[in-house]
Amino acid sequence: MEIALVSSVNGIVLSAIYIMVALGLALLLSIMGIFNFAHGAIYMVGAFLTYGLAMQAGINQWAALVISMIIMGALGIFLERFCFRPFGGKAFEVIVMSVALILILETAVVVTVGGSNRALPAFIPGNIKIGVVSVSIDRILTLGIGIALLILLTLLVQKTRIGQQMLAVSQDREGAALQGININRTAAIATVIACILATLSGTLMSSLYFLGPFMGDNMLMKAIEVVILSGIGSFGGILVGGLIIGFMDAVLPVVMNPLAAQAITIGIIILILLIRPRGLFGYELF
Amino acid sequence: MFLEVNNISKNFGGLTAVSKFGMAVAEGNIVALIGPNGAGKTTIFNLITGVIRPDSGTVIFDGRVVTGKRPHTIAAGGIGRTFQLTPLFADFTTLENVIASVYLHSRSSFWCSLFNTRAYCRNEAYALDKANEILELVGLSKVKDELAKNLPHGYQKMLGIARALAVQPKLLMLDEPLGGMNADEIAFTMGVMGKMRQEGMTILVIEHNMQILDLCDHVVAINFGQKICDGSVADVTCHPEVIRAYLGE
Amino acid sequence: MLKKRFFAGKGKYTGAAIVALVVILLFLLPPIGISRYYIHILIGVFIYIIMTSSLRLISLSGQISLGHAGFMCAGAYTSAVIAKNFGLAPWLTIPLGALLTFILAFLVAIPFTRLRGLYFTMISLFFGMAVLAINELFQDITGGQSGMVGIPTLFGISKIPYYYFFLALTLVCLFVMHRLEFSRIGLTWKAVAQSHSVASSIGIDEARQRIMCFALGGLFAGLTGAAYAHYYVVLSVTTFSFFTSIYLFIYMMVGGVNSFYGPIVGTAVLLLVQTFARGLREYVPFIFAAVLLLVLYLMPQGLAGLPAQLKSLVQRRGNPPEKEVIGRVP
Repeated sequence: MEIALVSSVNGIVLSAIYIMVALGLALLLSIMGIFNFAHGAIYMVGAFLTYGLAMQAGINQWAALVISMIIMGALGIFLERFCFRPFGGKAFEVIVMSVALILILETAVVVTVGGSNRALPAFIPGNIKIGVVSVSIDRILTLGIGIALLILLTLLVQKTRIGQQMLAVSQDREGAALQGININRTAAIATVIACILATLSGTLMSSLYFLGPFMGDNMLMKAIEVVILSGIGSFGGILVGGLIIGFMDAVLPVVMNPLAAQAITIGIIILILLIRPRGLFGYELF
Repeated sequence: MFLEVNNISKNFGGLTAVSKFGMAVAEGNIVALIGPNGAGKTTIFNLITGVIRPDSGTVIFDGRVVTGKRPHTIAAGGIGRTFQLTPLFADFTTLENVIASVYLHSRSSFWCSLFNTRAYCRNEAYALDKANEILELVGLSKVKDELAKNLPHGYQKMLGIARALAVQPKLLMLDEPLGGMNADEIAFTMGVMGKMRQEGMTILVIEHNMQILDLCDHVVAINFGQKICDGSVADVTCHPEVIRAYLGE
Repeated sequence: MLKKRFFAGKGKYTGAAIVALVVILLFLLPPIGISRYYIHILIGVFIYIIMTSSLRLISLSGQISLGHAGFMCAGAYTSAVIAKNFGLAPWLTIPLGALLTFILAFLVAIPFTRLRGLYFTMISLFFGMAVLAINELFQDITGGQSGMVGIPTLFGISKIPYYYFFLALTLVCLFVMHRLEFSRIGLTWKAVAQSHSVASSIGIDEARQRIMCFALGGLFAGLTGAAYAHYYVVLSVTTFSFFTSIYLFIYMMVGGVNSFYGPIVGTAVLLLVQTFARGLREYVPFIFAAVLLLVLYLMPQGLAGLPAQLKSLVQRRGNPPEKEVIGRVP
């Protein structure tokens, strides 16, 4: 019983992280039509940036988080302008670019701070008792931030002009351009949001578990799984998809052979691609 | 009847594209399918050639039921078609475009191709000759080594027809072959169509340009996915509904 | 007409002469006396040239696969397991491994080819991961993460027979792939890649063509993997990871996806960059990334397209060449 509760809490928290990362990936995919494989590396670098600012420069951890979100957001502008835009939505060239980015980012981290794993201290230390289970406050925090973000993004899309423009571009690029929407600016904003989301989730992950130069690789896979499972076109879809994958990753390895759990997750994704390629909730994916 | 379309209907998620459409084409005739934009003409072509399945109804070609068969089977059965918007293999040369189509009737097995056997070489030579013949017929011999995507628009349309002819069809289905052509090209294309009819080919053509009616044996008019008129050129062009469809109330 | 594309731009005989020269040179290297280390490196280059070229073979039909290492894995482990556990000689298990991988590729292609474009690429990516996951699941047989050892060797200790074996294997495979691409089979595949609706309208069973193309690509990969297993003698899943598949894709793109020689040039250059930059240790990925970016931004047709690109630059006096769309994905 206790295991079930602990696993469930882990599941929800993991889901929150997956959802945040997947949202960034889905944004880039729906607005620019490209798969940014480097998204995992950005997640990792954002986390390391916060770590560096907090642990080595001695800045308050919250402030460090905000600063690194700003810096990574700025990086997003650079990425869109010089790394994605020149290739005009040609997904396969962008994949090569993403690999180059991953190599540069991961090597830069390894070279500057070394390849070992480390952890960020909790943002809010301490535990709370929920029923019979003791949950760290950080986990609740992560959950809260995840929910807040989803609400924020939904409001952004529904209420602001920029959000509406992003929606328009994701549904019909040419039509949006013809209506006078600045596609490049929309793409830049999307990239900035994606980078900020990645940084935030990376940092949270480092305080909940650990951080290491290669943590982005696994997270990239998870984000891709969520995006394929949910499809793009609705945040709610990503929410559900993220919950499913998050729970599966948290609960299955506990109740069965972890290797079998891994195989099952991959099998489900393959099935989804075969049976319903646009995802459970999405419009055309590519 | 050579081609019989019986009561076919197609719905796309609630939108009725084609509704209980039927027509018959006699062998050796040229028949025009006319109607305003969005009337469903290309959809009907797609239903006949197997690109989409009709929700109901049947298509019978040359005595055999072809409803629901896959496009390549129907092509092999003797129907050649052109497309309105993507007429060709853009990265191939003109010649390669036609050769790819000629291959339908000059089969070589996988192993023969792999080992470059004499039979294979003979087939290749035959395909090359046939392709050149067709290019000669449609007047594209001069540009045979040009990449298809670099051809001017009229030539591309002509190449589409050449490609359709290369599969040695018994029924040739042309989707707006005259679109975007100048007067000379139109005259030439209509000349080619007449010549094909003389050789016994049946032609079904979608076209907006009313000059095509000079060639036609009979005309079918549709609007909103339904047939509104079917008969000789004179009957159809004077039909009040057809006039209304094109010119409005 | 089709044969004109054999050696574009340089004239048929110059190109053939260059290739012949390179091959003769490669045959002469061991007698000249290069070290074991370099022989080992070259064998690696040969292996990955076949892998990248077979990836490109699949892409001729418009399907870009990011799970190609999965077939290498299948071939390697199948041959290794059969040889080790049933005592059959590698000479038998290697073709057997290749055949079984072909069958796997064929069966897998049947559902997979219903997808097109990036969807196909995504499912191929997860296929590669699935192969690894299944491999780890049956770790009693395959050794899983710890890998497999004690695989029977093909030739014994000396590397030289392996060198000639892999050189010959590469030449044969490349020859067959060349034949496939420039025969009517290849023409049909390229037609399917450009427009599956037009291809269908001229009687091409485009689904079946894509299945065959994918299966053949898998065959070459399985064959190479099986041969690899009996040379390296030790297998581990990391050799066949998602990264390997991505690197094969990168080698193909950097070399130039529109040229038959692209995979050869791309693989050779990038592998040799990694080898000779070894002295720089942690900085090797930077060098590699630099090469990637260089080619991405400056050479739209890849390394193999460089001669043509330079030529047209000279001709057009500085106007940038057009970027060709790769992959012709419908």
